[in-house]
Amino acid sequence: MRVGLAIVATTAAVFMTAASPTFAQKHGGTLRISHRDNPPSASVLEESTISVNQPFMAAFNNLVVFDPSEKINSPDKIVPDLAESWSWNADNTKLTFKLRQGVKWHDGKPFTAKDVKCTFDALRGDGDEKVGIIRKNPRKVWYINLKDVATNGDNEVSFQLGRPQPSFLSMLAAGYSPIYSCHVPGRDMRSKPIGTGPFKVVEFKRNESIKLVRNLDYWKKGRPYLDAIDWRIVPNRSTRMLGFGAGEFDMTFDSDVTFPLLKDIKAQKPDAVCEGRPTNVNSNILINRDAPPFDNPELRKAMVLALDNRAFADILSQGNDLDGAAMLPPPAGVWGLPKDMLATLPGHATDIEKSRAEGRKIMASLGYGPNKPLKVKIATRNIAIYRDPAVILIDQLKQIYIEGELEPIDTTVWYAKVQRKDYQLGMNLTGVGVDDPDVNFYENFYSTSERNYTGYKNPEVDKMIDQQSAEVDRDKRRKMVWEIEKRLADDGARPVIGYNVANTCWTPQVKGLVLQHNSIYNGWRFEDVWLDR
Amino acid sequence: MGSYLVRRFLLMVLTLFGMSVLIFVMLRLVPGDISDILVNAAGIADAKEKAKIAHELGIDQPIHVQYAQWIGGLTRGDLGYAYVSERPAIEEIAPRIPISAKLAGMALFFAVLIGVPFGVISAVRQNTGLDYFLRVISLSGLSLPSFWLGLLVLMASVHWFGTIPIYSNEPRSFLQEVALLSIPAAVVGFRSSALIMRLTRSSMLEVLRQDYVRTARSKGASEVSVNYDHALRNALLPVVTIIGIEAAFLVGGLIVTETVFNIPGVARFLVEAILWRDYPIVQNLVMLIAFVVVVVNFLVDMAYMALDPRIKFAE
Amino acid sequence: MAVINHEAELSRAGANITGWWSRILFFTRRYPLGAVGATIVLVFILTAVFANFIAPMDPTATNARASLAPPGGKYLLGADFMGRDMFSRIVFGARISLAVGAGAMGLGALIGISVGLASGYLGGWVDLLVQRLLDIMQSLPLLVMAIVMAAALGPTMRNTIIAIAIPLVPTVARVVRASTLSLREQPFVEAARAVGMGELRIAVRHVLPNTLAPLIVLATAQLGSAILVEASLSFLGLGIPEPYPSWGRMLSESAAEYVRTAPWLVIFPGVAISLTVFGTNLLGDALRDILDPRQRT
Repeated sequence: MRVGLAIVATTAAVFMTAASPTFAQKHGGTLRISHRDNPPSASVLEESTISVNQPFMAAFNNLVVFDPSEKINSPDKIVPDLAESWSWNADNTKLTFKLRQGVKWHDGKPFTAKDVKCTFDALRGDGDEKVGIIRKNPRKVWYINLKDVATNGDNEVSFQLGRPQPSFLSMLAAGYSPIYSCHVPGRDMRSKPIGTGPFKVVEFKRNESIKLVRNLDYWKKGRPYLDAIDWRIVPNRSTRMLGFGAGEFDMTFDSDVTFPLLKDIKAQKPDAVCEGRPTNVNSNILINRDAPPFDNPELRKAMVLALDNRAFADILSQGNDLDGAAMLPPPAGVWGLPKDMLATLPGHATDIEKSRAEGRKIMASLGYGPNKPLKVKIATRNIAIYRDPAVILIDQLKQIYIEGELEPIDTTVWYAKVQRKDYQLGMNLTGVGVDDPDVNFYENFYSTSERNYTGYKNPEVDKMIDQQSAEVDRDKRRKMVWEIEKRLADDGARPVIGYNVANTCWTPQVKGLVLQHNSIYNGWRFEDVWLDR
Repeated sequence: MGSYLVRRFLLMVLTLFGMSVLIFVMLRLVPGDISDILVNAAGIADAKEKAKIAHELGIDQPIHVQYAQWIGGLTRGDLGYAYVSERPAIEEIAPRIPISAKLAGMALFFAVLIGVPFGVISAVRQNTGLDYFLRVISLSGLSLPSFWLGLLVLMASVHWFGTIPIYSNEPRSFLQEVALLSIPAAVVGFRSSALIMRLTRSSMLEVLRQDYVRTARSKGASEVSVNYDHALRNALLPVVTIIGIEAAFLVGGLIVTETVFNIPGVARFLVEAILWRDYPIVQNLVMLIAFVVVVVNFLVDMAYMALDPRIKFAE
Repeated sequence: MAVINHEAELSRAGANITGWWSRILFFTRRYPLGAVGATIVLVFILTAVFANFIAPMDPTATNARASLAPPGGKYLLGADFMGRDMFSRIVFGARISLAVGAGAMGLGALIGISVGLASGYLGGWVDLLVQRLLDIMQSLPLLVMAIVMAAALGPTMRNTIIAIAIPLVPTVARVVRASTLSLREQPFVEAARAVGMGELRIAVRHVLPNTLAPLIVLATAQLGSAILVEASLSFLGLGIPEPYPSWGRMLSESAAEYVRTAPWLVIFPGVAISLTVFGTNLLGDALRDILDPRQRT
């Protein structure tokens, strides 16, 4: 039933390029972009950071992809990529793809259905150990419902699911789901990956640069427009900004320009095009609910009542960050709670003084007061984007007689410490790869998930998560998602203090770039981008 | 003399060996290793995957086995594989050395160019206003953190020229490279110039009090001739030694300056490798630095011995 | 021979000194730069000690409305990104710098003196072993050694002090050893031994006090370098963690982001570091001239 849609999308694209002379795209040129840090590796499947996705997604293709010309990733804006079409079986448990023919890997070998099987077998944890195309698998939880991958000849592959899961296609459409080949070992994928995408990686110099050049054999005729993309790794943000202002770069790293810096960029380079958008990365508080003092639900409640999300946003982004619960709020978010419903949740009230008074009352009833504050340690990763909100949190908690001390944790041991539950409060950032309830809930709130750091266990919520996951009717499902969000907020599962909003800037010569507004991890194929020079 | 050389050489080897043990053990005391980093970078803490990576990299082996492997490799000229990039460590380290070496060389050049003449002037005009002024300047060279000086230079450059001398792209010509490196080199060299100036001054003062200078003066040699022909030449000996030692110790200044100016040299790379727990890079780089320091000290001693016949090395 | 009679030294310099006040006056006239240094160091120490009375605000209190506020008015030296008062942070930063600088210097001196004394006084294989260990430690530049140590220990206040103290040990140990070696054969030590005094007692009661002059000179210089190394470590993210207002930390990351829009974030902490170290260096030079005339410049 989705086949029809896919074909329409393809024809539309062809029509657009043929019929509109105003889109006089030019070929050629090198796009120069600044990079904020050294990517841990080039292997998109093994990492979970924009530092890897943004430069390396262009070397790959997916089976299907979120329409790169749309700002909002949503399940009905998925277009074919390496798959020409797809179809579900009658009970929505088997998804079959017809693959594009004549596609070649960057090393000249032909792409076949076997490569798709290799990729998803590895992600399912059933890959060939000897080939070892990946050694880390941070998104295992995406594929818990995937039972088998079967090829039928070189051009057809089908995915057998355990139960209906409409979100499965969205996960395949994410920037995090490129297709790897069977024949390239993990070590090469991590240092100089081979894909089928519009650009070939020619050089990845640690802490210095990443160079990609146009793939002359790209299967999509006439693409990409650019001859090359040059990434320069510049760890110091002010240097990156000055470099962009001085014309050394055509584009900043994604979401690199905070609001206080935006004014400066505009002054330095008045013709710069800047777009501010939510990154679908939220700052949230980890509460250790298994150990004193926060094993007391009253205390958890008091703490949440002290939070002033407005004040966080005012400092961190001059008021631009969005207030939301577990899912990214609308309009950018497809699933999040509407504003009026959000305001009824603890921690999101508009009258903060009233909430804090209530919080103080709870604290007083527990025996704390101005002269007898509760002393807690607030652990956070020792990097600025984690530390800054933690410092503000400490300041806010003073309001309800909680005296916080910051405990900066070396970034190398942060997750291990969190997983050991060796903390009282933690300031955490959660990036969501796809604006999708399955991606978010299974990862962060399902009782058996590895990344459910707070160890939040609620059998009822688990059941609600499973139910919404199998629901095919989208409107019905959205209401179920809202219910879950409310439950999580009432339980203080992981109080969200805000969704980050930041700017990306480029020179006016850069054309054809569409930023995705509900996930920074998608939309970086660069095949439609061209330079007007 | 011959036996002294042999003794010095053996001590040198012993020092380097001790350093290798020290750095090797110290690195492994650091909380968190590369397998932690790699799984952390992916936002997971999967014990099974972590163990797999640790096994793959050989860091699950006993420490003495790892040490033997490293030293064994070193004797064959094999530095091992970098953990992060999974490329041979030598390929990561070698291309970064020339950049730092050039920077250090230029810094030293600036330091001598400024330090020696001003040191001489300061000594010749001892206790005048000029002397006080130069002494205060040189002391400030020892007091300003070089990363701050670097930031100030960047700020000034942005303010007046609207742009900054950063190493954002590989320089295309030799001249461009010199232009790019000269400002950071001056920043690093400022501290060394202060040291050299202080030493030149005190050494000059010492010599100017010596008998033969007084004799030359009494014989009617001109002030200029006394100061420059007689005194300076003799005063330079200790200065040469401090220049040699300072050359090796410039590394400290390079670390922060390369960070501020975004220069892809070895010094900044060392800090990054430490943060990533990339042992093969860190231990080899530390050994390289120790090697340079020890060898320079040795050469300075030898130079001293050759230049100053009064020094005898009998113990 | 290394025994220096300070009174004699002063009166030789033409001073007729009675009482503290005239001493200070004499010192100021004889060593004007040293007096300037002493004043700076004194101000620094007083600021550190009385930080709670001097600072007008809580150095960790954030305030959205004051984010990146320029200097002047309520915020004398401006405010940082999180709206924290820079003046208060710099005042409390003096406390951190003093704690780390003096702590590292003290710890380094303590270890250095014990090691140097043992090495010089006992001689033999102890001396040999210690000398080789010091060789190893000195084969790395101070900052490199401190960086490796700081990374190995983790970023806390105590660890930063240790990481800076250890690399300072060799110089102290070498100076103490050298003086001890020459003192060991002095007649008064022989005499003490002859009357049956214990070796440890001789070392601590008779040898150590006579090595004090060069040590004081060295310690002043080391206080300056300890402050500088702390600033560099914190700048690189390896030293004192947030929210402590360390001067070096204040210059790193977020401050450097605003070199254009909020230069005061970069200028004032740097001035604080430079001025303090400058003061210790001036004082150190003057002390060396007084206490260790052989090295007089």
